[in-house]
Amino acid sequence: MNVRVVIAEDAVLFRAGLTRLIEDHGHRVCAAVGDGGALLAAVAEHQPDVVVADIRMPPTHTDEGLRAALEIRRQHPRTGVLVLSQYIETKYTARLLEGNAAGAGYLLKERVADVAEFADALERVAAGGTALDPEVVGQLLRASRRAGGLAALTARERHVLALMAEGRSNAGIAAALVVTGGTVEKHVASIFDKLGLPPDEADNRRVLAVLRYLGS
Amino acid sequence: MGLPVTTPTADLPRGGRARARSPWAAARLAVAAPFTRREGRELLFCLAAAPFAVVNPLTFFVLAVDLTWLAADSARGNPSPADLAIAGICLGLLLVLLVSTGAARRLGSLQRGLAIRLLGARVAAPPPARRSPAARAWPGPGPRDGAGWRVMAYLLAKLPVGLIELYAVFFWIGGLVNLSYPLWWGAFRNHPPGAWLSPVPVFTPFGLFGEGTFRVATLPGTFAAAATGAAMLLAAPWVTRAVTSADAWLIRGLLGPGRLAQRVRDLELSRALAVDDSAALLRRLERDLHDGAQIRLATLAMNLGMAREKLGDSGAVPDAAAARELVDAALRGAKDALVELRTLTRGIHPPVLDNGLTDALASLAADSVIPVELEVSIPVRPTPAIETIAYFCAAELLANAAKHSYANEIAIRAAGQRDALLLSVSDNGTGGADPARGTGLSGLAQRVAVVDGLLTIASPSGGGTMITVELPLRV
Repeated sequence: MNVRVVIAEDAVLFRAGLTRLIEDHGHRVCAAVGDGGALLAAVAEHQPDVVVADIRMPPTHTDEGLRAALEIRRQHPRTGVLVLSQYIETKYTARLLEGNAAGAGYLLKERVADVAEFADALERVAAGGTALDPEVVGQLLRASRRAGGLAALTARERHVLALMAEGRSNAGIAAALVVTGGTVEKHVASIFDKLGLPPDEADNRRVLAVLRYLGS
Repeated sequence: MGLPVTTPTADLPRGGRARARSPWAAARLAVAAPFTRREGRELLFCLAAAPFAVVNPLTFFVLAVDLTWLAADSARGNPSPADLAIAGICLGLLLVLLVSTGAARRLGSLQRGLAIRLLGARVAAPPPARRSPAARAWPGPGPRDGAGWRVMAYLLAKLPVGLIELYAVFFWIGGLVNLSYPLWWGAFRNHPPGAWLSPVPVFTPFGLFGEGTFRVATLPGTFAAAATGAAMLLAAPWVTRAVTSADAWLIRGLLGPGRLAQRVRDLELSRALAVDDSAALLRRLERDLHDGAQIRLATLAMNLGMAREKLGDSGAVPDAAAARELVDAALRGAKDALVELRTLTRGIHPPVLDNGLTDALASLAADSVIPVELEVSIPVRPTPAIETIAYFCAAELLANAAKHSYANEIAIRAAGQRDALLLSVSDNGTGGADPARGTGLSGLAQRVAVVDGLLTIASPSGGGTMITVELPLRV
């Protein structure tokens, strides 16, 4: 799978490393820029499959990366957006997903160290899937107001739920847990049953259902 | 906001900044003085003294004595002690009424407004009167309003000062009239020779029309009168300035917020500065960590992750060269992160400061690119907070000098006195440091102000810079 990527990151060394990492995995980096304005321009020019953007960039060093990402999701729905940050803010997650988890991702910067997983997340978002940081999912799980409902789940099912919320497909979950696809399907069906969520095949709708359940 | 930045020229009013350099320039300044706009404003202020000379406790007292005297003795003989006592009681009641209704405060604010607008005096309004809940029914500030009584004291002092101010106005009017005598002479006294003309009185600062004053009866005499007028006009600005300065001093002392209230206001201001400063410090710290060590470590982890991938899972290494290069990059990143963290922790609290300011300043001087002459004598150690502030002031001033002054010599002096620490950083550079430009110096002044310190800047353009920080030994 050859993915066309635009990177926006203001730290020069990190940007260079990211470019190398992505190119090492056989993808093409069309542009690597340092702020939100340049990102929007580069996306308009290259129409990439996916954008990797730092949330905090010049000039205000607050959330220009996120604002640019939302703008891209509005203007170029076919471009996936993977947002990187040094912090996890569930508020940011909510703003990014806002009713549509397709082609969106939010990862901590340090996840880049797990090179293969990061590349996997990048490809997933480029293909219209979802990639959420385990930290985000963990926060949502902890903060869930219906945490009582989770009590009905077994430890294994809770683990599967977390992986599902990160945006993994059944095959991905099976790989992560080192079990067969059939086992995962059984767990997922059980989870949906216990939580009263409508079963669905499309990955990102699954994520959305889980998030809505956790966030409500 | 009144930051304690003082520059030697800051207290000179506008227009007075052109220092006379030569006798010629001094003469020009003296001749031009009556025609400046500032002069006009001061003259207006003097004229405005007239009503205040009437609305005055002393005038009221004289009036009250006369009225009781008229009522009790039909103004025969002299006012009796009883008349005086009754007048005194009436006056007291009147003053209490003026103060407690707030009329006194309004008079004060009127006078303060005049001084601010016409003299450019910097004087804040006194704080609103504090009233007990029981006194709320009364519409004014009540009879125990210190600010109101201070207005009364000012009005009392205003009587002599106001009279002198009116005398200053007389300098102007008399001078102008005298100056115009030759014209009048030509217009109205063009009599045939031999006609005797009554002499015309000339105004002098020492008398008006009485016996022994200066009179002229001839045309050449009118020129002497005109010369007197010119001399009076030349002197007038300085008379006006002297008396209005004295009045402004009185206004600052009596119509301002008062010492205790001013102190409370200063403390409120410095507390706000301290809170802002610590918030800004935390924000800067977060920013430094986020953009520095944190991102360096993330990059380092990424490089190691990529290297791990190049090394393969087991057996032969598929891409040893690339792996080596990535590990090298990671190593460099780790070292850079360490340097960055060290700089940061040193910026938070330099460990050498634990040994005292003397050692800390010495290490600061040793690190400087420009040679630093250091002179430290601090017999009593200040509290750690003061030492820290002094150290960071010195560090920032040193950095400023290195960055902006083009100096080749810097001197740091720190002297501990009985209850103050004096720190000065001077250089032989280009000068012209201005707290209004850039935030460095004003930020420093803010930090110094938090502990009641004072930052003084002497930086003439082209003449080097000397910045002095005065701090209390303890907070």
